Amino acid sequence: MARMTLALLAVLLLLLPVLAQDSRAPRVGPPRPAATPNADAPLETVEADVSTRTLEVTTGFTGHEIIVFGAIDNSQAPEGDANYYDVVVVVEGTPFPIVVRRKSDVGGVWINTSSVTFSSVPSYYAIASTRPIEEIAGPSVLERNAIGFQHIKMTPSASYKGVLKEYEVAAFRDAVIRLKKKQKLYVTEPKDGVVFAGRSLFRAAIPLPANVPVGPLVARTYLFRKGEAVSAHIARVTLHRAGLERVVHNFAFLHPAGYGLFAVLVAVGSGLLASTFFKRRNA
Amino acid sequence: MLGRGVACALTGASYGSITRAPLSAASHSRKYLLMNIYLPIAEMSVNAALFLGMGWAVGFLSGMFGVGGGFLLTPLLMFMGVPTAVAVGTGSMQILASSVSGAVAQYQRNNVDIKMGAVLVVGGVVGSVIGVSLMKILRQVGQFDLFVALSYVLFLGAVGALMMIESVGTIRKRQTGQASPRKTGQHSWVHGLPFKMRFHRSKLYISALPPAMIGAFVGFMAAIMGVGGGFVMVPAMIYLLRVPTSVVIGTSLFQITFVMAVTTFLQAVQNKSVDVVLALLLIVGGVIGAQFGAAAGAKLKGEQLRFLLAGLVLLVCLRIGWDLMNKPVEIYSIGPVIGGAN
Repeated sequence: MARMTLALLAVLLLLLPVLAQDSRAPRVGPPRPAATPNADAPLETVEADVSTRTLEVTTGFTGHEIIVFGAIDNSQAPEGDANYYDVVVVVEGTPFPIVVRRKSDVGGVWINTSSVTFSSVPSYYAIASTRPIEEIAGPSVLERNAIGFQHIKMTPSASYKGVLKEYEVAAFRDAVIRLKKKQKLYVTEPKDGVVFAGRSLFRAAIPLPANVPVGPLVARTYLFRKGEAVSAHIARVTLHRAGLERVVHNFAFLHPAGYGLFAVLVAVGSGLLASTFFKRRNA
Repeated sequence: MLGRGVACALTGASYGSITRAPLSAASHSRKYLLMNIYLPIAEMSVNAALFLGMGWAVGFLSGMFGVGGGFLLTPLLMFMGVPTAVAVGTGSMQILASSVSGAVAQYQRNNVDIKMGAVLVVGGVVGSVIGVSLMKILRQVGQFDLFVALSYVLFLGAVGALMMIESVGTIRKRQTGQASPRKTGQHSWVHGLPFKMRFHRSKLYISALPPAMIGAFVGFMAAIMGVGGGFVMVPAMIYLLRVPTSVVIGTSLFQITFVMAVTTFLQAVQNKSVDVVLALLLIVGGVIGAQFGAAAGAKLKGEQLRFLLAGLVLLVCLRIGWDLMNKPVEIYSIGPVIGGAN
């Protein structure tokens, strides 16, 4: 009886961090410890944080590099074995619905002929890891934790069914990744992405480009041992508009009529101002 | 990766020069020239100097040829990666700024037929409303870019070709010493329509329908293509309505100003595609460029100017047409879901 209660308690404790997570963030797989070399020692865990918790997108915003840093607690790495643990950092932006369109040749003109809507696609996705992720863990582990471009959760809306074949939808999916990579919104830093400083401290530099969509970012840090995720940690970065950029954007989207009038007045005012200036100068 | 490296090198260089060199006016201006501005509606970081320069160049050409320049500016913005809808919406704001002073000047010189202008504006507003609404629908179904490109190819191709033929003919005649025959007031089908109105300033007694329809057509084009539409309206007023040339420019500027004001407003409300920051960059560059352009244009003959302008119009037309016909490197494109979930 006592043993069962203990087991239940242990299961509950393991589930707690999962339950506490934001439902929008991909579920972090519960740590599945492989046979621990030392059964009595406490389990190794990872803790991490981000250098910048809040980032402001102002008129002068040209991108920013955030540093995700952390430490491994209760490291069981044997002395001199630097490759005992692997750390993967995934920084993900808010998911948005997007439309992907494909052009085809219609009588000599390239026209959008088919489209697939994905109901939620992360606006931004960056991976940094100690080694290329394929070397760290198998596809099922990566899939479960949504690590890697192939494992980004994208659900196509149902409307394409019967119109497009499964492999065609896969091509649309690949196109999203390719185009996002081109826009520097999907980035991967497999080489020296996560760098260890000493035995348990590590850091990863994540570049946020100027065109990073404004919204909250979630930084997930995974600790891998022998191909299994043994611990995970979540940190958040808020990215919000500030200054003039915020004023103009909010004005345009919250009070479109007022903004429209403002735009007309600015145009008329600047046009007349310029003409009087040059008339006086030329006179 | 390379792009980021270059960007870092650029900013690094600019900061470096400021910290190392003693603070001077030159280093200040250099920092200013390399300044990037984040556009709030286009949602992209652009080089302010580059877009000021673009405004200047388009302003120069429009000052030189006496055209609005929307047909140059809007495609140029699209080539630079500004979303088509934002390019079109912001284009109308820029045209408003560049036409308003001209309209005021023409009005002061009594070159505006207010009554004719009012009819054109009423038609133009109707056309603009239809155009802005159609734009929203086309964006939802993903055919807006295609529609804009086709409109450009069609109109620029037609206007450019006609202008080219006319200017070459005039240049030839001038060389052979022939005077071009002047056509006098001929009656056409236009004069048989109902709702006749007397336009005193234009010395015309014609139906209100043709000007209203021309106005509507130009307003529609303005909304869809981000142009003023002077290149369609001026010939239409001269050849279809037979408005005296003395009031054509003033009246068309009058119409463009009012229709552009309405279009800018509608684009901001319906499509949220007017970027005030981008427009200001283009306006500032444009008004300065137009001054230089006007001075340069004064040195050339009318038909020479029209010949050059026709060449420019055809080049823009060919470039857009080429992009439509050529197999794109990337046949996929991604965009936000417009309406619905967004």
